[in-house]
Amino acid sequence: MRKQWKSALLGLGLVMPSFLILLVLVMYPVWSSIKTSFTGADDQFTFEHYQYIFTEPLILNNIRHTLIVTVLSCLLVLIIAYSIAIYLRFSQSTVARWINKTYLIPMFIPGVIAVYGFINFYRDNGWVARIIGEEYMPAIIYNVKGLLMINIWFNIPFTTMLLISALQSIPNSIIEGAKDAGANQWRLFWHFILPLSYRTMLVALTFLFMGIVGSFTAPFLIDRNAPQMLGVSMQQHFSVFNEIEQSSSLAVFMFLLCSIVGCFYIYSNIKESKKELK
Amino acid sequence: MAIKLAIQNLSKLYPTGEGVQNIDFHVEEGELVTLLGPSGCGKTTVLRSVGGFIDPTGGAIKVSDQDVHHLPPEKRPSAMVFQSYNLWPHMTVFDNLAFSLKLKKVKKIEIQQRVEEVLTLVHLQGMEKKYPSELSGGQQQRIALARALLLEPEVLLLDEPFSALDAKLRHELREELRDIQSKRNLTMLFVTHDQEEALSISDKIVVMNNGHIEQIAPPQDIYNTPASLFVAQFIGRMNFIKGQAVNNTIQIGDITLTMDDLYTGEVTLGVRPEDIHVADKSSVRIEARVDKMMMLGHFAEITLHTLIGSLKMFVDRQQLEQFELNSTISIKLVNFIVFKENGEVLSNRRMNVNEMV
Repeated sequence: MRKQWKSALLGLGLVMPSFLILLVLVMYPVWSSIKTSFTGADDQFTFEHYQYIFTEPLILNNIRHTLIVTVLSCLLVLIIAYSIAIYLRFSQSTVARWINKTYLIPMFIPGVIAVYGFINFYRDNGWVARIIGEEYMPAIIYNVKGLLMINIWFNIPFTTMLLISALQSIPNSIIEGAKDAGANQWRLFWHFILPLSYRTMLVALTFLFMGIVGSFTAPFLIDRNAPQMLGVSMQQHFSVFNEIEQSSSLAVFMFLLCSIVGCFYIYSNIKESKKELK
Repeated sequence: MAIKLAIQNLSKLYPTGEGVQNIDFHVEEGELVTLLGPSGCGKTTVLRSVGGFIDPTGGAIKVSDQDVHHLPPEKRPSAMVFQSYNLWPHMTVFDNLAFSLKLKKVKKIEIQQRVEEVLTLVHLQGMEKKYPSELSGGQQQRIALARALLLEPEVLLLDEPFSALDAKLRHELREELRDIQSKRNLTMLFVTHDQEEALSISDKIVVMNNGHIEQIAPPQDIYNTPASLFVAQFIGRMNFIKGQAVNNTIQIGDITLTMDDLYTGEVTLGVRPEDIHVADKSSVRIEARVDKMMMLGHFAEITLHTLIGSLKMFVDRQQLEQFELNSTISIKLVNFIVFKENGEVLSNRRMNVNEMV
């Protein structure tokens, strides 16, 4: 019995430092933000900050803009990354081998440098404009298009990596069995590849959504001034307008958005696990 | 009987230099032919070429006289049962079975009926709603077989289908497969490295080694008259004794044998353990010391030390009591085969002990 206690205490002792760090650096700020978002000028409980962010047209526009950019970016990244992953999984070509070696490179380029490079490349008088002619250059920088493009640049490597690992875990034998049963390329994809990799797609989607909805560097440097992504808007309310309560309310709202996506992912995982345990 | 599957001069060479060459054999309608050989001999390459999963370098593959060489797997008139079952984990048993029928746009009622029918055939009625992960290895392989049968293939290909199962289940499924094959008059090409499996279920065995065919023959011929030293070594147990042939005699120690053929050079005598008998007084005898005795179920294996080398001998388990460790006995070689130095059979005729001088 004494031995059991000792090992329990040892376990607790080993976990405690990281738990305390989590408590101080994550849980306390979260709690503090939630509390601030519900605290009025007289230190009383209030909904007025939420009332403000959900009625103020400027912020509502920002929310709409953030959701549109996030959803579009997620969709585009998923489609492109999934296509690349499928190509890399099933192709033996030299091109596939080269893509396989290089697709992770954007992950190793610091965000700010990538954004500045992107601006130099695509601004109205940037390199592309000089090559194709300024009059033919579409507006990319300080525009949603630019933000979508940079989101794709940032997120494709990691998403592709996740999806490739999912596709590689589908044994060739399953594909061969399906072909043997008469499945053509389309049916192979629809009945086998997609169902056997959609769980990882959900994981990728969760990470993508959380990353893009709260992104700051790229929207701050590339997006237009209004509407803004919520990350930028939150920073401005906090440090430019000194509206700490409003920025806390925005932070809690973003946290809720991410929680919904997280819950959706957890729910689908539990459902799958139940099916597997059956 | 009509030839259902014809493999003509098939070759597949891999960049590593391995592969198969000049594979030529056929399978008649309703016949079960087994490709047998050690790992890496090319038997799976041949089978997968027939299934369309490997593109051969040369040769032709014909099913019912139609060249299928250019067709992708989904369009070939064959179906394959894979070693790893290959059931689709995200689909129920019913969906696994019904998939190919749905692709063929078979009516729902007929699908239901045919799935039930095939499940009865493989003794798995009532399993429709289960997922593959809920089934045992044996059940999964039965479902895999059922799925292949539903495709109504002209040739059923089986790639070591029982290798992942335990011995008892393997034996059971082997018998079931043979029953189904006979009942439905199925044409099957079966791959295995298990000689016992091959000998027990095949109409004909194709023994392969290093990418080429060593022998094609019915199981009893493969066992009784192996075409090469490799086949003799690979199929069943055999004692090998080195000797020296001069014209029509073979000298092994102080024993001299005669043969019909003329040959001079080193030879190897192959003797099956069951072809070594205890000698009576009238026979030409070899003195042997009993070194080891091992019970192997319904028979026993005795290791003998003789002047011509160490020999294994099989006896019935009831006879084991007659032997004593380290005792000396007299034995005779009832049958043996002589192989040349290059592994070829010197004479196809099995010689017998009366020819010993």
